[in-house]
Amino acid sequence: MKGTKISQHVFRGILATICVCSLIFFTGTPSLAGPEVVKIGNIIPLSGPSASVGQQGKQAREMAVEEINAAGGIKSLGGAKLEMLYADSESKPEKGVAEAERFINTEGVHVLTGCWNSAVTYPTTAVAERYGIPFVVPVSVADKITEQGFKTVFRIAAKDSWWTRDQFAFLADMEKEFNTKVKKLAFVYENGDWGKGFAGQWKELAKKGGYEVVLDEPYPSTATDLSPVVQKIRRAKPDVLMLVSNAADAILLTNTLAEYKVKLKAIIASGGGHADPSFLKAAGKNARYIFDIVEWETDVNKPGAKEANAKYKAKYGENLTGEAVDAYLATYVLKDALERAGSLDPAKIREALATTNLRSGPGMIVGYSAVEFDKTGQNEHAALVIVQINDIGSGMERITVWPKEARRAGYTPVFPMP
Amino acid sequence: MGEQMTRQNLQISSLLLVGIITFGLPLVLRSPTYLHILILLYLYAYLTSSWNLVGGFAGVLPLGHAAFVGIGAYSSTILYLQYGISPWLGMIVGGILAAIVGIIIGLPTFKMRGAYFALATIAFGEGIRVMVENIDYLGPFNLNGPRGLQIPPRNVGLTNLMFTTKEPYYYIILIMLVAVLALTYFISRSKLGYYLNAGGEEPEAAMSLGVNVARCKLIAMAMSSFLTALAGTFYAQFTLFIHPKSIISLDLSFEIAFIALIGGRGSIAGPVLGALLLRPVSDFSRIYFGATLPGLHLIIFGTVLVLVMIYQPRGLQEPLTRVYHKLLYRLIPEPAGTE
Repeated sequence: MKGTKISQHVFRGILATICVCSLIFFTGTPSLAGPEVVKIGNIIPLSGPSASVGQQGKQAREMAVEEINAAGGIKSLGGAKLEMLYADSESKPEKGVAEAERFINTEGVHVLTGCWNSAVTYPTTAVAERYGIPFVVPVSVADKITEQGFKTVFRIAAKDSWWTRDQFAFLADMEKEFNTKVKKLAFVYENGDWGKGFAGQWKELAKKGGYEVVLDEPYPSTATDLSPVVQKIRRAKPDVLMLVSNAADAILLTNTLAEYKVKLKAIIASGGGHADPSFLKAAGKNARYIFDIVEWETDVNKPGAKEANAKYKAKYGENLTGEAVDAYLATYVLKDALERAGSLDPAKIREALATTNLRSGPGMIVGYSAVEFDKTGQNEHAALVIVQINDIGSGMERITVWPKEARRAGYTPVFPMP
Repeated sequence: MGEQMTRQNLQISSLLLVGIITFGLPLVLRSPTYLHILILLYLYAYLTSSWNLVGGFAGVLPLGHAAFVGIGAYSSTILYLQYGISPWLGMIVGGILAAIVGIIIGLPTFKMRGAYFALATIAFGEGIRVMVENIDYLGPFNLNGPRGLQIPPRNVGLTNLMFTTKEPYYYIILIMLVAVLALTYFISRSKLGYYLNAGGEEPEAAMSLGVNVARCKLIAMAMSSFLTALAGTFYAQFTLFIHPKSIISLDLSFEIAFIALIGGRGSIAGPVLGALLLRPVSDFSRIYFGATLPGLHLIIFGTVLVLVMIYQPRGLQEPLTRVYHKLLYRLIPEPAGTE
């Protein structure tokens, strides 16, 4: 008998502990904020291999939000302020999904943005779709993201089939402009989904353009020595080398290519590592004459671009990058949509996003003229520019060369490489 | 004698209570966020318990179990996407495939000792990842290389092991966890369990007593890889997206081993205790510090790991069991002579 009494005590004790625990769980949920706040959940890689890009995206978002809030917030919502919530995806899909669930269910966000890594963006946008929360993707290049049939996904930047298309269009234009025939191409790319996605499209475009592919070489981005790859490039004797690289391997490849004195007519890179601020610092002279495709360059001829870049540089100590500008613009696209929606209802915000036609304002410092989404949620106007790295008297810099109407005044691209 | 009975009763009733709480939790805890965290907690406890059959009882340190997760996930996903076969069946196929691979890996590697075995399994896990990343088509099967496979959320339901709410996932992984714990319990009290233990601690002595250590280890490996692959299918159906970098990653293999080391290798409760400690540390530190101080949550995770290793090298399971027994004896004192 005594035993049962004691076990009753234990039961009660355990029950009490559970109550306390569940209380902690529930009070962890913040109470509903006033209606004058728009909560935006941002899922980006803040640690792990893509941390640098994630950090750039975060800084650009912060700058845009500061500007918007200082200018009186969302006027149609009674001056509602934007509140940014950030979550670290660590570049891992399951973390992105968990954070999206938390943002939607626990934090009660009205809009989501992110996630840069395409592998994180796929499953995370699926979560948003399920709950009907609008999801703005500043940049995640994989075509598939806007081809899932989702209604709530909107992408600002170009998709990867556009990047490769423009690289080949650029190559054809250069051949014509400088009367140089290019026959043999070499494809060298990181072996992740990004590089493989590009390479698959390159192969098709090369076949269509009548080029001969003399080397098709994926390599691991984490490699500490790329001289075997460079040896292969040298042996294959291509005219043009096309690259997809992350930061560390872009530097390593460029320096090894210079070390082995590989003769090429041109190198065309695909942004990413080649556009990273660290690349020019570490590769220096070896990077001279490389062409790189990007979404944005500091010398873009757009009102407000110089000022925005100067402000960003003063704040964070580095130039705006394509990724940062996409995030900056995305915040303004959201502001525009919220202004027109005049409501925090996710369905209304989605409607407003779908009818976006943003042509001016502080966010529009990109090279193209407007943001308008097609039926799949892809920004129809997103376009790219190609730059050449060269030293024309003020150190190594990135100079816009293509499309021709965007070319920096007075600059003639160097093609083929001397 | 009567007092002894009540002590056992108390143990059983507290076990029952834990069962009631875990099974009833989704009725109280409605937030999908926390259910998601709990599902992952159970998943890791399950994975670690499966790992424990080799890593705990057989006394070796395999660090390539993510490969089995990958085999399970890819088998069921490919069968479902290309042939429309239910993931439940795919789960079994993946399990069997993983068991075969486990035996093939175990045959040469179980002869290795200590660090060499660990290194061999790391190489094996990474090898599988690199292969999957570089193969788009394996015969008729579309692996889709590094881009991974996506399961469209259509035909949701039990037959397709796909749900729009968290509760079904919660119960499925909970039942899987209970089953694997029960299996571990029975194995630890079976001949096989004793053989494994003996072979793990003193292989020469065990062999001289006529125990076929290698064969026991192989059986454990086959079971462990089979069970691990089942979790792979569950994971794939839960996230509906798999790609080699996330599912066959060294990170996952390491995390399983960390949970086991923290909780206590070779015990039944160890993996659960480890997951109970490490998963919340990882999740909540990411939630609260992930945005403000990037990377800090990884440092916190590492610090907890180091602290436990310094002060409780045999895992949390040991001191907690001591506390539990003390509590038990205090509540129901030893019968003093006659009643």
